[in-house]
Amino acid sequence: MVPPEYYLVLSAAIFCIGLFGILTRRNALYFLMSAELMLNAAVINLVAFSFQWGNLTGQTFALFVIALAAAEVAVGIGIVLVLYRNFGEIDVLNADSMRW
Amino acid sequence: MVSASAYVPAIVLLPFVSFIVALFGRDNLPKRGAYGGIAATAGSLALSLWVLVSVRNGAAFQETYYTWATGVGSQPWGLTFGALIDPLSALMLVIVSLVAMLVHIFSLGYMNDEDERDLPRYYAGLGLFTASMLGFVIADNLLMAFMFFELVGLCSYLLIGFHFREPGPPSAAKKAFLVTRFGDYFFLVGVVAVFTTFGTAAFAGTESFPALAEAALNGEATVWTPGGLEVSTWFTIVGLLILGGVIGKSAQFPLHTWLPDAMEGPTPVSALIHAATMVAAGVYLVARMYGFYVLSPTTMAIIAFVGGFTALFAATMGVVKRELKQVLAYSTISQYGYMMLALGSGGYVAAVFHLTTHAFFKALLFLGAGSVIIAMHHNEDMWDMGGLKDKMPVTYWTFLAGSLALAGIFPFAGFWSKDEILYEALIHGLDEPLILGAYVMGLLAVPVTAFYTFRMVFLTFHGEPRSSLARDPHPVRWNVKGPLSVLGVLAVVTGGINMVPVQKVLGIEGIDYLHLWLDNHWGGIEGLSSHHYAELNPYSSQYLFGGEVSTVLAGAAVSLGLALGGLALAWALYNVADPAEHTDKLGGLKALLYNNYYQDEFQVWVADNTRAVAGSADTFDQGVIDGVVNGVSSVSLLSSERIRRIQSGVVSNYALLLTLGLTTLLVVFGLIGGWF
Amino acid sequence: MSLLLQGTATDWVFSVRALLPVVLLALTGLVVFGINSLRPDGRDNKLLALTSIAGTLSALGVAIWYLLAGTGQPTHGGAISLFSGAIIVDGLGLFFTAIFTSVATLVIAASYDYFETDANPASFYSLLLLATTAMGLMAVSNSLATVFVSLEMASLPSYALVAYLKDNRGSVEAGLKYFLIGAVSSAVLAFGISLVYAATGSLLLPDIAAQIGSVGDLNGVLGVGIVMVAGGVAFKTASVPFHFWAPEAYEGAPAPVSAFLSSASKAAGFAVGFRVFATAFQPALDIGIDWGLLFGILAVVTMVLGNFAAATQTEVKRMLAYSSIGHAGYALIGLAAITAGASATNATVMGAAMAHLFVYGFMNTGAFLFIAMVERWGVGRTFEDYAGLAERAPMASLAMAVFMFSLAGLPLFGGFLSKYVLFLGAINAGFWWLAAVGAVTSALSLFYYSRVVKALWLEDATTDLDAIGDAPTGLYAAVIVAGVVTVLLLPGFGPVIETAEAAAAALFA
Repeated sequence: MVPPEYYLVLSAAIFCIGLFGILTRRNALYFLMSAELMLNAAVINLVAFSFQWGNLTGQTFALFVIALAAAEVAVGIGIVLVLYRNFGEIDVLNADSMRW
Repeated sequence: MVSASAYVPAIVLLPFVSFIVALFGRDNLPKRGAYGGIAATAGSLALSLWVLVSVRNGAAFQETYYTWATGVGSQPWGLTFGALIDPLSALMLVIVSLVAMLVHIFSLGYMNDEDERDLPRYYAGLGLFTASMLGFVIADNLLMAFMFFELVGLCSYLLIGFHFREPGPPSAAKKAFLVTRFGDYFFLVGVVAVFTTFGTAAFAGTESFPALAEAALNGEATVWTPGGLEVSTWFTIVGLLILGGVIGKSAQFPLHTWLPDAMEGPTPVSALIHAATMVAAGVYLVARMYGFYVLSPTTMAIIAFVGGFTALFAATMGVVKRELKQVLAYSTISQYGYMMLALGSGGYVAAVFHLTTHAFFKALLFLGAGSVIIAMHHNEDMWDMGGLKDKMPVTYWTFLAGSLALAGIFPFAGFWSKDEILYEALIHGLDEPLILGAYVMGLLAVPVTAFYTFRMVFLTFHGEPRSSLARDPHPVRWNVKGPLSVLGVLAVVTGGINMVPVQKVLGIEGIDYLHLWLDNHWGGIEGLSSHHYAELNPYSSQYLFGGEVSTVLAGAAVSLGLALGGLALAWALYNVADPAEHTDKLGGLKALLYNNYYQDEFQVWVADNTRAVAGSADTFDQGVIDGVVNGVSSVSLLSSERIRRIQSGVVSNYALLLTLGLTTLLVVFGLIGGWF
Repeated sequence: MSLLLQGTATDWVFSVRALLPVVLLALTGLVVFGINSLRPDGRDNKLLALTSIAGTLSALGVAIWYLLAGTGQPTHGGAISLFSGAIIVDGLGLFFTAIFTSVATLVIAASYDYFETDANPASFYSLLLLATTAMGLMAVSNSLATVFVSLEMASLPSYALVAYLKDNRGSVEAGLKYFLIGAVSSAVLAFGISLVYAATGSLLLPDIAAQIGSVGDLNGVLGVGIVMVAGGVAFKTASVPFHFWAPEAYEGAPAPVSAFLSSASKAAGFAVGFRVFATAFQPALDIGIDWGLLFGILAVVTMVLGNFAAATQTEVKRMLAYSSIGHAGYALIGLAAITAGASATNATVMGAAMAHLFVYGFMNTGAFLFIAMVERWGVGRTFEDYAGLAERAPMASLAMAVFMFSLAGLPLFGGFLSKYVLFLGAINAGFWWLAAVGAVTSALSLFYYSRVVKALWLEDATTDLDAIGDAPTGLYAAVIVAGVVTVLLLPGFGPVIETAEAAAAALFA
């Protein structure tokens, strides 16, 4: 059996990759994908420790997280669409008219 | 049955409501606010009378209505609003609301009938003035008293400066405000000192500051004093600090200079200020916290001496004035001097007695003067009057009653109260040179008072008219005559509430109602009785001519004789068909008196010569205090400019900062908590 | 009523009755959908608005009724646990539901005028109602699973609401920023929850509390998880360092939405934070996970940043956005001043924070709705543009002055008492430094709030204000009602604080 620490390291790594993507990418779609990656890191933890603890709570919750991630993408894509319509591109750095 | 105590707040709130109504109703109101004011003060008067009756039936009480701040710590202070209804405050409530109501009615004649402008503002001011004074009267602690004291000052400013388009009134209003504020600074420091010393500012009860002070002097309680000062010395200092406010408001020497200038205000306002509100507030405050003052012989002596001196000093200035209201102004200062003399020499009841009688006869005199002024088309110079006796009989006879009372002629109200003051000062002063000195000055003021009072009466009403205005005076209506008649009757009979000399001479028991009243004979609040004060006061009583009765008789005879002497002199000089100005005979003294002993000039001189001090204080204020304040604000605004730059507008930066923030928190708390 | 007063039960009728406010909101949302799908081309703005208001008002009524009747409170059998403990109906939940529904009612009334010319207002009303439903669920969530689900359910409609004006670049930009930061934050929250699950093996709040004592070596994992959950709360409440979305989202969004987000959404975040940290994570204080200090630091930084950044803003709406961040800092005191074992002071200070959020719900909503009215009139956004408005709209300007002074905490209005009680509670709990920072920043806030009042009442108009002729009924009514309630909360503060403290005390019992 794989020790639980390994899952923690894996999920932390995926979380950080997602975070890295968010910090470096300018394209709104990449931004979305990176956020999904971070959510999936959480899912890995939940599934792994559901097995570890021997209850189904984690697995069930993982399903919820996946479903919510899909809903989030749906809303996100909608916002990206109107962003494109108003700004002509989907570079997140361009929308900076409001500041300070 | 509903108890009167539940309606005590309404006594204060009714005039306040009339203030609000007049403020917002503007010109839409009937008589532009007058009826509202009359209704409100009449309501206050009715409730006050009810309270008076219920106190007579033993329902004195103290109640806290609202605690608006509580401190923290083991012994927190509470800053509260409450009412203290005892014989003293119940009596004062009736006086204030009665005079206020009559002044409102009189104003119908003096203001409305004369088509003055901005009347809603006038009635709003009167309403707030009355409400403030009533609030001050019921105050159950020093801080609340102070707050209403200041409100009274503010209202006097607003009303004295009512005719703000003319040059005089605004300047007089400012002077009144500044001079009384000067005294109030000391009062404020005194309030803080009372709080710091006793942790409470309540007037009544075992935990009140007079009670604690008494216990501290007996060594039964410990109180805070600065730098380990002697308790009695510290109490004297605190008492004198509070006395600063009293001297300012009650126009005692040397802060009396605002009062004659305050005559610039409308005459009904003068009546209110002099008889029942502003000026009375000072004396009332001393009476209210008399239990504290009697503990300090030094303060008592100072009060008595200042009072006696002011009584004489102001009376001499009244002798030469040409304007009717000026004479009355100086007489007010002088009469309040008598009350202070009474308080300082242990005559608590005598002071309250004189406060009561004076409220009535001085309101009467001012309203009478107002009536004359209406008739004279707002000319106040007595040398332009004369002969008004036949043309305005109601005014004349009531004014005469008030004058006899003021001059202290038997059997008018003023005789009884003034006589009792002098008697108290005499019997307590035989061992105390300072009190005796004050007594002598008070006694000397008696003929002067009678002289200037009847000089005024004769010049105004007797002889031949000296101007066309006086030959054809403007008629006055019921709304002027009504209040005059009520007050005229009161000026004659009020002496009857306290027939001490009669009781002593004839031995009839139980006709010294005011003595019994203030002695909690019909119930009151423990520790606030005249009996209690008499036990505490530092004086012993001595009698002349071997006994009490003979002292009473001798004192009364002397003062009545002096008063009649003054009256007779006035008669001889001015009750002639065509009186001449005799002031030239005074020589150099005339200029001195005309210029009020150069008091105003002296104060200006003092102000000029302390300009350097003020200048350096100003520099300190501008440079250091404002510097710090401005520094704080510019540093805040500068850092504000910096902080808002964090929000760069670029969402990736936000994500970065968010990540950094989260990481920092994780690292810091990981290290603190030892998670790694 | 008697049924509701019992403890656990399993039949669905009971569950619906216990969750009636939430159910009513959800149903109203569906009805609005239904009206729109039956008449897809009909612009039934009035019908939709009235339906929505009926829904929120009835939910508010039920919440207040339950509060008064004692449902779910210690006097009547304690909290009602539903769905295997995932949902719990108690005083705290009902109290916050009352806040959300009050704010939603005001916002809907205002939106009726604000979106008068909108092509399809049905989507707006249903999004708003569903977001309110989700907030109601947040307040009764007793499991980290329901917390996450309901929080997302509240966030997703909010993103859409912020970007609702599809052709307005500001609105879209605001929506984008809100969404992106929200996505990151919800990922952080989800990861935090997964770590808490990893350490304790449960998602139910009471079970987590029971397990915390035996986490052993996993306390580091738990600690990271807790800090990340705190991050999720900080996002929802717009607290530093998760606040970055707030100024832009509030500025760019339609003003009624700003009002809704800055009042209701913030309160929902606190509802979750209060329940999760008080119920689940309190034992963690004993094993070196000092989240009290964490919130203390966040509170101080949030108060300072929000108030300072607000001081030099040129636009009123953005100033209010920052002031809203500052107020999140005040409410965070309710979490920061919690110490292990001190039930009484904990309940006092948390109750004070809840009461502050209640008062804040009215005064802040009112302020944003005033801005909605100004936006509708087409007056500019800066302080200069607001000059002289009082001459044209005295009642509304008076209400705005009330909101500003109440937000600043001047005595005379509800905001004074709530702030005062909050700071006093912090001092009594031993956290004088939190109260000190709160007092100093409040003093600063008076500066920028009074700028609005000064512009409205004392300055002469710089622009042509002739356009302000009409008085939009719904907006006006909402502003005035909010103003009246703000004033009435000064004398009526007693019941509010008592209810709030009782609800908080039940949490610590």
